[in-house]
Amino acid sequence: MRQGFLAALLLGWAALAPAQALRAWSGGTAPPLELQDLDGGAHRLADYRGKTVLVNFWATWCAPCREEMPSIERLRRALEGKPFTVLAVNVGESARVARSFADTIPARFTWLLDRDTQTAKAWRARVLPASYLIGPDGAIRYSALGALDWSSDEVRKTIQGVMK
Amino acid sequence: MDRRAFVISTAAAVLPWRIAFAQSGWRTFEVTTRAEVDFAEGVSRVWLPLPLAEDTEWHRSLGSAWSGNAARAEVVRDGKYGVTMLYAEWPAGQAAPRIELTSKFSTRDRAVDVGRPDANAKALGPAQYAFYTAPTEWIPTDGIVRDTARGIVKGASSDIEKARAIYEWVVDNTFRDPKVRGCGWGDIKTMLETGNLGGKCGDLNALFVGLARSVGVPARDLYGIRVAASAQGYRSLGVGTPMISKAQHCRAEFYAQGAGWVPVDPADVRKVVLEEPPGQLAVSDPKVVAARKRLFGSWEMNWLAYNMGHDLALPYSKGPKLPYLMYPNGETGNERLDQLDPDAFKYAIRAREIT
Repeated sequence: MRQGFLAALLLGWAALAPAQALRAWSGGTAPPLELQDLDGGAHRLADYRGKTVLVNFWATWCAPCREEMPSIERLRRALEGKPFTVLAVNVGESARVARSFADTIPARFTWLLDRDTQTAKAWRARVLPASYLIGPDGAIRYSALGALDWSSDEVRKTIQGVMK
Repeated sequence: MDRRAFVISTAAAVLPWRIAFAQSGWRTFEVTTRAEVDFAEGVSRVWLPLPLAEDTEWHRSLGSAWSGNAARAEVVRDGKYGVTMLYAEWPAGQAAPRIELTSKFSTRDRAVDVGRPDANAKALGPAQYAFYTAPTEWIPTDGIVRDTARGIVKGASSDIEKARAIYEWVVDNTFRDPKVRGCGWGDIKTMLETGNLGGKCGDLNALFVGLARSVGVPARDLYGIRVAASAQGYRSLGVGTPMISKAQHCRAEFYAQGAGWVPVDPADVRKVVLEEPPGQLAVSDPKVVAARKRLFGSWEMNWLAYNMGHDLALPYSKGPKLPYLMYPNGETGNERLDQLDPDAFKYAIRAREIT
């Protein structure tokens, strides 16, 4: 009962959180990202050159991460057919744990595993969720720390601006 | 590299890490800090320390997450020492500012045998040597500090011998003063000048660090918080409940050629003397003798390391520098909140072991 109350409180806090904003990036070039997906397939950020990529670092124990996932899927659907993709990077958990969450939401992301957390550390994603918007040229254009409503008009327009 | 080669090399890199992790005594914890500003006046700000960023043989940060009603949140760093913290801000008029930070990390017990050279010990470059023998604003390395240290290390030749002499001197000459608020701020010059060598970890381990640095032995404080009971049988060196709001504890290290960074904790020896049941133990008590031997070269890792920083200017604050960042800090209407009073600030810190 008490755990349930605390969980509800946490979710309530997340739901009440005001929208964080995408912030223009000034932190230099994108670190390498070479990770496996849930089925063992290899993915490199460099393979996505020419597309706009949302790199989202998350974990199942991170309530605001779970909270923002549906809005990322709404964004992805709104941009379907355009050169845009989502790399959802699970930080520090096993494929089984990550899949158990991925299976619960109807999101068509590329789910990647950063099992030893080294990629998150290289990207300085110390607080989750941490998201980076990568331009078609492979450069980081924007970042967001904390949960964001990715399906808002403002965010979508910003991303469409990066895609041009 | 083709895709198949990448998959194979990645799997090869990941598998040994997973096996080693499971077999080598790592424990994983979750620490949750919840901070609220009860009587907000104007802009409110909160700074929460984050787990040590660097992976070590005894600590790995697994990530943090925050929730709450902050209008702005970001990870900020203090430049000189690279201390990272979560910064949150609320505009004037925001009712009941609140933030909750959850951090996951793994630790394992740490021990260095100073009598046995470690071929894998990392060398300390000249810049790092200079950095870790330099004074801080609160830890001078000249005057009475250096004079005292020179007397202590007379006859010692190696860095290990000097550090050992200083460690024994701190244990023999200081005492834990339960009346000191928090962990003490480490004003070691005043301690030596007044001859009042009572304090807590922030004082006694800072004294070790200052004395060591003043005679050329690289040393540093590490600031953190206890997260679990001691498995080594010391009631005073652990926490017995999930609520750890007042369990902050700092430790110390020194560097020796051939040994690398060596963990020490003379302040905890004095804590055993004062607090280990039935209390007020003699220095000759077997519990104290064992702790004294153990705490030169080892740390039980029922403890989360935050950072090694001194003299921090909190980003976006016009308030005074902090000697260190080990507690949640906050301000509202440009007035600092009392970081040593969780009930008034207010904040609560909880810990639980996950594995």
